[in-house]
Amino acid sequence: MFKKILIANRGEIATRIIWACKELGIPTVAVYSEADRNSLHVRFADEAICIGPAPSAKSYLNIPAIISAAEITNVDAIHPGYGFLAENAYFAEVCEACNIKFIGPRTESIKLMGDKAQARAAMKAVGMPITPGYEGIIEDEEEATRIAAKVGYPVIIKASAGGGGRGMRIVRNQEELLAALPAAQREAEVAFSNSAVYIEKYIEVARHIEIQVLGDEFGNVVHLGERECSIQRRHQKLIEESPSPALTPALRKEMGEAAVKACKEIGYISAGTMEFLLDANKNYYFMEMNTRIQVEHPVTEMVTNTDLVREQILIADGCRIEFEQRDIVFNGHAIECRINAESPTTYAPSPGLITTLNLPGGPGVRVDTAAYPGWVVPPHYDSLIAKLIVHHRSRDLAIARMHRALEAFIVEGIETSIPLHQRILADADFQKGNLSTRFMERFIPTKAARNSEQKASAAE
Amino acid sequence: MDLKEVKELIELVSEKGFAEFEIEHEGFRLHISRFKEPPVVQAAPTPVILSGPLSVSTETVAPVPTPVSQAAPVSAPPTKAETSQPESLHIITSPIVGTFYRSASPNSEPFVRVGERVEHDSVVCIIEAMKLMNEIQAETSGEVIKIYVENGQPVEFGQPLFGIKV
Repeated sequence: MFKKILIANRGEIATRIIWACKELGIPTVAVYSEADRNSLHVRFADEAICIGPAPSAKSYLNIPAIISAAEITNVDAIHPGYGFLAENAYFAEVCEACNIKFIGPRTESIKLMGDKAQARAAMKAVGMPITPGYEGIIEDEEEATRIAAKVGYPVIIKASAGGGGRGMRIVRNQEELLAALPAAQREAEVAFSNSAVYIEKYIEVARHIEIQVLGDEFGNVVHLGERECSIQRRHQKLIEESPSPALTPALRKEMGEAAVKACKEIGYISAGTMEFLLDANKNYYFMEMNTRIQVEHPVTEMVTNTDLVREQILIADGCRIEFEQRDIVFNGHAIECRINAESPTTYAPSPGLITTLNLPGGPGVRVDTAAYPGWVVPPHYDSLIAKLIVHHRSRDLAIARMHRALEAFIVEGIETSIPLHQRILADADFQKGNLSTRFMERFIPTKAARNSEQKASAAE
Repeated sequence: MDLKEVKELIELVSEKGFAEFEIEHEGFRLHISRFKEPPVVQAAPTPVILSGPLSVSTETVAPVPTPVSQAAPVSAPPTKAETSQPESLHIITSPIVGTFYRSASPNSEPFVRVGERVEHDSVVCIIEAMKLMNEIQAETSGEVIKIYVENGQPVEFGQPLFGIKV
C-alpha cells in the first residue's frame, strides 16, 4: 500500500481525499497556495507544503512546484482530485517519469477523452451512440440541406471556431435552414473572424445523464449506475441526483453495459464518468467522458454504499475491484446541492469571512466541505464551499429531507446559493421529475434583481 | 519533546491561567500565548497549527541528511515575531519548493556566511527541485545577518532563508 499520498488540490475534494487516506491508514501531504494557508485540508493533512502565491497558475497548476513538494516529502502517489491537473495528461506523464503513481487512469485514456472529436470517434467505433452530426464544415446550401435531411430536423448550426451561442442557430425545417445559414456564418465571421459552421442534430429536450464507472488494472470494469445532472446554469451543475427519474431499470442496464463495454475496449482504469444526453424519446447519445473523480460522486456513493475515492486508491495500488457487477445494488434515492459562495439571485460571487456556520445533521445527511466558522472564502478559486447530500428511500422523501437540511444549513458573512436551491426544490417540475438542461432558464436573473442588488451594495 | 508533552504543557498553561509561557529544551522551542494570533509556522516535517483562544507555536529543528553536532548553532524556521527584527532585516524567501543547499557541491565553500556582504546578483544558495539546481540570487545588497535554514533542509514557497541588513 502507498506509504504517503500527496493531494494536488484544495477545498472540499482535498479533505475528501484525506478522509479516504485516513481510513486506509495512509499519511497525507497537502499542498497549498498562500491564500489557502488556513485551509481545512492543510490542517488535517499530516504534512503541508506551501507551493506558491494565490493564483492557480502559480500554485495548484504549477507542476514543478507540486512535483518538487512530492519529492521533498517522499510521497509515492499523487491524487489530483478534480479540476486543476486532474485531466492534464502531461502532469500524469511527469508523475510517471518521477516514479510517483498518478491516482487516475492511464495517460492514453486522459489524452483520448480530452480530445472531444477523438473521443466521439473512438466511442462510435465501439458501437456507442453519439450525437448525430456531420463533422465537416458546410460549404454551400445544397450540402447543408442534404446533411440536415440525413441527420433529421431539428438541427443546430454551430460555429466551428467558437461557442457562447454566437454563430449558433436552431432550425426546424429547410426554409429556416436556408435563411439561418448565411446569418450564422456572418455572425461567426464577426465573433471569431472565421465563418466556418457545421451542423449537428439538435436534441430538443435533453436530460444530462452520466454513468459512473470503475476499472482496475486487470481489465475488470463495473458501472455504479447513473446520475442526473440536468439542473445546470451555464454548464455549471447545481443539483445532481441518483437514480434519474427518467431511467427504467432496463435503460439503466443498457446504458451501464454500453459504458462498461466501451471502457473495456479502451482499457480504462480508475474512476470515470461517461456523459450522455437523453432525448424525449429516451434515446441516449454519448457526449464526452470525464477521466477523473467528479464533484457529484457522493450521490452514487450513497445509493450504492461505496467509497469511490477509496476504490481509486486501491485500484492505483494494483488491487482488483472487490465487487462484481451483480454485487452492486441500488438503494433508495440521493440528491446533492452544490452550495456556492454567490448571490442566489444574481449569481455574483460572494467571497469573504464566514462568521457563522451551522451544518445540518440527522439521518441521511452528508456534508462534504472545507468551510469552517472564521474561514475566509478566497476570491481566487471556484465558488463551491460545500456539498450537501441527502439520502432516503424514495425521491419524494429525499426532497423533503433536502428541504429540511437546507433550512438548517446556516451560513453568515457571505451569500450562498442555499435560497436558490430551496426555490428549485419547491418547483413543481422539479418535484415531478420533469427535468431538462433548460430547467434553469426559469431562474435567469432579471434586470430588476441585478439593479436592486447593485444599489444595495453601493449603499453599504 | 513529543505531542503528549506539548499537550500536557498546554493544559498546564490553561489551568494555571498563564498569559504567556516559553520553554527551550534541546533544540526545541515552545512558545504559548493566550488570545494572540498564531504566528506563521514554516514547513517543518510535522507542522502543528492550532487556533482558538489559546495559540501555540512550535518550532522544531528539521532533520538534515548531514549530522549536526550538539554544539553547532541550531536554526529553526523563524516565526513572524522573530523575522520582524528591530533592525528590520530584508528577508530573502524561497521562490520555489525544493531542497536548500548552502554550497554548489558537498565539498565546496558555502556561497555566503553570516557577516558577509552580498550584492543584487550574488548567489546566496542553491535550491534543488526536480533534479535541477536553481541558483538563488540575493536581489538586494547588504550584510548577511541570519540564516534561517539548514543545509539539505526541504523548503517551501515563501519560506524565509536569509535575513539581510540592507
